[in-house]
Amino acid sequence: MNLQVSAQSLIFGIFVGGLYGLAAVGLSLVFGVMKMLNVAHGELLMLGGYVTFWFFSLYHIDPFLSLLPSAFVLFLIGMGLYKGLFSPLAKLHEEVKIKNSLLIGFGLSLVFHNLAIRLWTADERSVSVFYSGWGFSLFGLRFPFIRLAGLVLATIVILALQQFLTKTYFGKAIRATTENWESAALMGINIEKTSMVSFALGAALAAMAGTIVSVGYAIHPAMGLEWTLKALIVVVLAGLGNIGGAFVAGVLLGGVESVSALFVGPYMEVVGLVIFLLVLELRPQGLFGKRSE
Amino acid sequence: MSSHRKNIFLGLGIAILLALVPLLTKRNDIINIMVLIFLYICLAQSWNILAGYTGQVSLGHAAFFGLGAITTRILWVGGYPFLMAFTTGGLVAVVFALIVGHPALRLRGIYFAIGTLGLAQILKITVGNILPTVADLPGDYIATYNLIPRYYLFLILAVIMVVVVYLVGHSKLGLGMVAVREDEEAAEASGVNPFRQKMISLAISSFFAGLAGGAFAFYQVSYYHDLPFSPTWTFDALLITFVGGVGTIVGPIIGAFFYAIFREFFARAFPELHVFIFGTLFILVVLLLPGGLVEAVSRIRRLIRAKKTDTGFS
Amino acid sequence: MLEIERINVSYGDLQVLWDVFFEVKKEEIVALIGPNSAGKTTTLKTVSGLLRPFAGEIRFEGLAMGNMPIHKRVEMGISLVPEGRGLFPGMSTLENLELGAFTAKGRNCKEETLEQVYQLFPILKKRKKQAAGTLSGGEQQMLAIGRGLMSKPKLLLFDEPSWGLSPLLSKVIYEVIGEINHSGVTILLIEQNVRMALQLAKRAYVIENGRIVKHGDGRNMLNDQHIREVYLGTESV
Ligand SMILES: Nc1ncnc2c1ncn2[C@@H]1O[C@H](COP(=O)(O)OP(=O)(O)OP(=O)(O)O)[C@@H](O)[C@H]1O
Ligand SMILES: [Mg+2]
Repeated sequence: MNLQVSAQSLIFGIFVGGLYGLAAVGLSLVFGVMKMLNVAHGELLMLGGYVTFWFFSLYHIDPFLSLLPSAFVLFLIGMGLYKGLFSPLAKLHEEVKIKNSLLIGFGLSLVFHNLAIRLWTADERSVSVFYSGWGFSLFGLRFPFIRLAGLVLATIVILALQQFLTKTYFGKAIRATTENWESAALMGINIEKTSMVSFALGAALAAMAGTIVSVGYAIHPAMGLEWTLKALIVVVLAGLGNIGGAFVAGVLLGGVESVSALFVGPYMEVVGLVIFLLVLELRPQGLFGKRSE
Repeated sequence: MSSHRKNIFLGLGIAILLALVPLLTKRNDIINIMVLIFLYICLAQSWNILAGYTGQVSLGHAAFFGLGAITTRILWVGGYPFLMAFTTGGLVAVVFALIVGHPALRLRGIYFAIGTLGLAQILKITVGNILPTVADLPGDYIATYNLIPRYYLFLILAVIMVVVVYLVGHSKLGLGMVAVREDEEAAEASGVNPFRQKMISLAISSFFAGLAGGAFAFYQVSYYHDLPFSPTWTFDALLITFVGGVGTIVGPIIGAFFYAIFREFFARAFPELHVFIFGTLFILVVLLLPGGLVEAVSRIRRLIRAKKTDTGFS
Repeated sequence: MLEIERINVSYGDLQVLWDVFFEVKKEEIVALIGPNSAGKTTTLKTVSGLLRPFAGEIRFEGLAMGNMPIHKRVEMGISLVPEGRGLFPGMSTLENLELGAFTAKGRNCKEETLEQVYQLFPILKKRKKQAAGTLSGGEQQMLAIGRGLMSKPKLLLFDEPSWGLSPLLSKVIYEVIGEINHSGVTILLIEQNVRMALQLAKRAYVIENGRIVKHGDGRNMLNDQHIREVYLGTESV
């Protein structure tokens, strides 16, 4: 196998992997705080992509500039979804709560998928900016500007999130709630508010990933399931609720997928899924997770 | 016992009426809708056994449907008698279920759900892509295609499916399944082997999902090559079962009826709108009415009865 | 300061508290003692809002708690040092303490309280950066108590503060509880070590099978025949 080709696909794999990581971080955050797995996460990502697409085609706003506006729109949508659909579950018994949140997420994903077809048709769309073709070569390897920018932005967002979670009082409250919500409540933390903000933040993170996907790649109404699966794989690899690990695992998955594509071609996605099932079976706490008890 | 008997007579009566439909109408569109309803009944009811009665929410139902469909199609197109191909399809689905059952059923709750989803996606990408050649029926098969035997195949399958769920629901086996659904530890403590119950439930579920797939392979002239493994089959099963009434026998039937009708009704103007409607209803059901339409109906009935006695006294 | 008026509490269908009543006056130390599974932890959880009574009422400074959420009660000045400590194991000692001062009141004088806590437990200052989950049992208990103090509570609830500690360390903890009380904090205490609790407490209540069966002066209780037989393992003199 040609080394050049391998290195090139590894690089592209890492570019995508950064987005897997970004997509997974939001899912992981929400799971950590609320112990709910939002399977509509991929659809939130899709909506974020379309919001950016809208900003671009209606108002000619540069997609990278609409990273934050799009995140803000999804933050609001996330708050609404939490208040309307997920908050009522909070009172339920743990196991029922998890199951019902899965079901509601599932229903939401179908509804959003359909809504997107209605609003934007089932076609693939992509934001094509004037600098789409820019890039540079290094040692004969290509680095397209928009993909590189996507990875850099994803990294910046994750680092900012880390800072938020470790340095601010509210971030600490989120982590405390993740570790032990009863104790967190006994500290005077408003669990309901923390959950709402976390859920909205998860949606905003999904939107940022969707925005980057809409520039470097393509968006379409059916992308939700793909991205939810990617995020799930990454989250399981990293251990549920492990935010730092999620980004690393995302990059890892992207790299593994694209390198294995050289050998198994279109079946590369199976590689990630197989790893996913193995980890689920053998190490439910994830590759980077600590075994509890 | 008498209610038992009443149910059986009622079911038998409906089945006979349905068997007469092709004699009464020659309209293919009506026959097609009926086929769709029967297909959805099988799909939903087979999922209901595992998820509704035994509490294992699987998101991998499409895998069994797809295996049944593709096995049946290959054998049948390959020249084997249809019934043999059809039965083999169901059996292949069961064999696969038995192989993956052990590791899969060790996973609990949402882990089982996402694990089965991953499994089904693997099958969709691999098997669904490797064997695309049978997506279109050969010309001579199309030339002799007749809708009526398909109608009866689906009708019989749906009737058997409902009877099986009814019998299981009223047996010791069914009680064990419900016990596992309600509380696995408690079930184990009272002498039920949860793993065995789940495994049997999965086997029944996958067998009928496989048969439903086989019937679909017999019915559908051509399809997009990985359609048999499309997660939509799983999603349809979930929507129909929950909106109708999860864990009940009537629920999936009502759900299947409305789902198919909506689908046909909106097919021209708003394709897939039925998914939107059912998706919304599904969320409402999970939040507000866990018993689905079945519970809604019984609530309304109770209300009316209460009203009647009210006015009767005043 | 705290009045418990005939509360009834259940987990699902299982009722565990029946008409439990007691009172804690300002700046008192009150002990709640009883055998395992009597409902002591349940009582404290209900006071802090983790559980809701289906009948009865809890009043704090004259105000009915009703359905007031947990964090509001903390803001009013109720702080619980829970059974099993309830630390955030993945977060550092300092972060645990900071979270203790999450309320506006706690945050206002965070640095000052932190110094006080470090004075009570100097070891915590040394372990500032260490993850709480990796502290020794004794250190964890000190951290739990310190964290409870960080919100500047008016009423501090302790659920078995000496659990899992050596007799020596238990004594230290009890001295600290005494000091905390001297600084004006009212204390309600659950304890398995009945002798120690009764020596410290001004008044005590005995709960058995979810019902208050006895109450009285701390020291007098030490001489009570029933108490001596059941809890102190000594015959009456
Ligand atoms: N979450 C729960 N669900 C169901 N029952 C519970 C729960 N928590 C406690 N119980 C039951 O309530 C009763 C009282 O428990 P509680 O923890 O209040 O006892 P306790 O007096 O604190 O005992 P110990 O001294 O052993 O800590 C026990 O019978 C216990 O089994
Ligand atoms: Mg206790």
